[in-house]
Amino acid sequence: MKTTPINDEQRAKAFAPNKKPEVMERQNLTVRYHVEDFEVEDRPRRFLEAFAAILRHSNYRFALDHFIRLSAKCSRCATQCQVYLATNDPDDIPCKRSELLLSVYRRHFTMAGSIRGRIFGTGHLTDEALQEMAESFWNCTACRRCTMECPVGIDHALITHLGRYILSEIGIAPRALVVSTREQLEGKTGNTSAVPVPALVDTLEFLEEDMKEELHVDIKFPVDVENAEYVFFPAVSDFLMEAETLMGIAAVFTATGDSWTTGTGYFDGINYGLFYSDRILERVVTKIDVETKRLNGKKVLIGECGHASRSAKYFLPAHCGGKDAFPVINIMEYTYGAWKAGKLKLRPNAIAERVTYHDPCNIARQKWILEQPRELLKAICADYVEMTPNREDNICCGGGGGTVSIDEIRPYRTTVGGLAKADQIRATGAKYCVAPCANCKKQLRELVEDQGIDCEIVGLHDLLYKAIEFDPSMIVEPEPEEDEAVEPVKPDVAGSADE
Amino acid sequence: MDALLEFATGPLFRLTFAIMILGLARILILDLYGMWEAYRKAGDKTIPWGLTISRTLEWIFPVKRVINHRPIYSIVAILFHIGLLITPTFLFAHVELWRSGLGFGWWTISPMLAEILTIATIALGLLLFLGRVGSRNARALSRKQDYLWPLVLIVPFITGFVCANLTVSPNLYQLSMLVHVFSAELIFVLVPFTKIAHCVLMPLSQLVSTIAWKFPAHVDEDVATTLNKKGAPV
Repeated sequence: MKTTPINDEQRAKAFAPNKKPEVMERQNLTVRYHVEDFEVEDRPRRFLEAFAAILRHSNYRFALDHFIRLSAKCSRCATQCQVYLATNDPDDIPCKRSELLLSVYRRHFTMAGSIRGRIFGTGHLTDEALQEMAESFWNCTACRRCTMECPVGIDHALITHLGRYILSEIGIAPRALVVSTREQLEGKTGNTSAVPVPALVDTLEFLEEDMKEELHVDIKFPVDVENAEYVFFPAVSDFLMEAETLMGIAAVFTATGDSWTTGTGYFDGINYGLFYSDRILERVVTKIDVETKRLNGKKVLIGECGHASRSAKYFLPAHCGGKDAFPVINIMEYTYGAWKAGKLKLRPNAIAERVTYHDPCNIARQKWILEQPRELLKAICADYVEMTPNREDNICCGGGGGTVSIDEIRPYRTTVGGLAKADQIRATGAKYCVAPCANCKKQLRELVEDQGIDCEIVGLHDLLYKAIEFDPSMIVEPEPEEDEAVEPVKPDVAGSADE
Repeated sequence: MDALLEFATGPLFRLTFAIMILGLARILILDLYGMWEAYRKAGDKTIPWGLTISRTLEWIFPVKRVINHRPIYSIVAILFHIGLLITPTFLFAHVELWRSGLGFGWWTISPMLAEILTIATIALGLLLFLGRVGSRNARALSRKQDYLWPLVLIVPFITGFVCANLTVSPNLYQLSMLVHVFSAELIFVLVPFTKIAHCVLMPLSQLVSTIAWKFPAHVDEDVATTLNKKGAPV
């Protein structure tokens, strides 16, 4: 991966102060993301208390012990971090970022470090060190490429994850994530985008009408259907911003005939806990379990969203019953399985323009979903090209780790975090970049806009929607409108599907 | 000097070697125990063994990774590790010492190969040191031990080479042998307490990482209670 570091002008743009000086002074915090007011006094002590509480109840301690014993400081991770490659700032080397927290652990939570610190009177956690952590841990996109490249196997992403968790316990977390999560867990709507149920139902009915008009197929979004095979949890923002993805998913289910439903009790796959707090992660993932039980569903189906998929797949079993937890699958797995089983027919070469595929980190890094979307795309695209590197070695969109939801750092995301990705997309010359993740889509759209790349960011099911071949028995004659009642016009089904 | 050498190659060797073995065993046991405890507490006990083992093997035999990124540094580092392990373990003179002490020995490398490996290890150690000094990234991360280790590790190789080849005077031989033995023993003592502990811990890293992401069930309430935040709003 080669990226030309940003120049002074780009640096000034990416790191421009965007907060009122009085706020930074009041909070004694110079980070670029907004933070709700919190108790400023005695932060180091409170940080250590939170660290101790988390160590006591969690599984982090043994991993930190392991990492501090074998860290080789070889700087190999620097070759993989798109943030460092863009800034060329040694503070952005993943190993250096990890050391911010590991040094606190070594000094305050190991016997040798504690004795050494007391004898020499050094290494106490300071407010300045906290500031540095608050800045550094949120510069990272938590993409885990550095972890893949560490010869001794230090999981820098785990350390960043823990650092953010501890900081959140003393009130330092991006306001955008906290406010959304508050609405999700304590608000009236119960989801991160504050979509009320009537608005959800209206949206789905509108989309049903839209699809009927376009495809002449009676495609439904089943709501609150009990005993369905799949209970569907997309990123809730899809209901507002990704209509075509949802239409594609509904069309797939109509073609296959399998039972699925969206629950009005809870319909949000987003879990910002994965980005800043294990406690939040647990509470949010439990809502999925509760809703699936309420509807007596068989499986949890996550929409096109990387972090929603990962948080459900890996943490639903952790908090909701272990091996007895509901199975979790991503919509791409479902669609691929249906296509391979012959339940879904796709029209070859339905997409004539050049298409490329972006692997969301949260589903690719662990080699979870790599080939399924590629095979589907190759089946419907006349000109499919790969980005390099790809699959588990993919480059992050630049908005990972929850940073995409922090609107105030957009210049940073599209100038620094997404620089390598922009180079990658540009090199493909693709008209469509398929990004099956709500976060990646938002970040990549902002990226191509800010970087001036002529490429449209779409979901996988946006394209599949244009390529599904329905059984002729599913095609319904359009009801003639009043003024056309005299001379009905026969629909051109294939033509309309192409549009 | 003879008495000192005898002490260094006798009781002191046994002591320092025991410190290394027991020290490494200690951290290995602590590591395994920590992993077991975490696994026991984990809400989800499924381990993706295939991925974990394949990623571990990728780094124990880092052929694929070497070519992709920093190939020169990587090749130097790998050859240095090979020299460090093969030369002292299979050197004829060392095996004979083990044979006289333990009553059995093992396969040895030829004197010619031993010399080539010794010279190569010295050169590679120096290159690693210079690479660290010359790399802006590595300098930004390095602690004192990171600079010192390549130099400390090649001292037994330099003195061993002197003993084997530059026998100009008995005094020089004895002095070199003393430094050779003492430096090796210093390394033995330091291994379990420094980053060189990766020699036993590194193969476990992928599994450590996998298990660390397996969170215990229902910690929200426990952490909140400890921090007096139970029932507090988001």
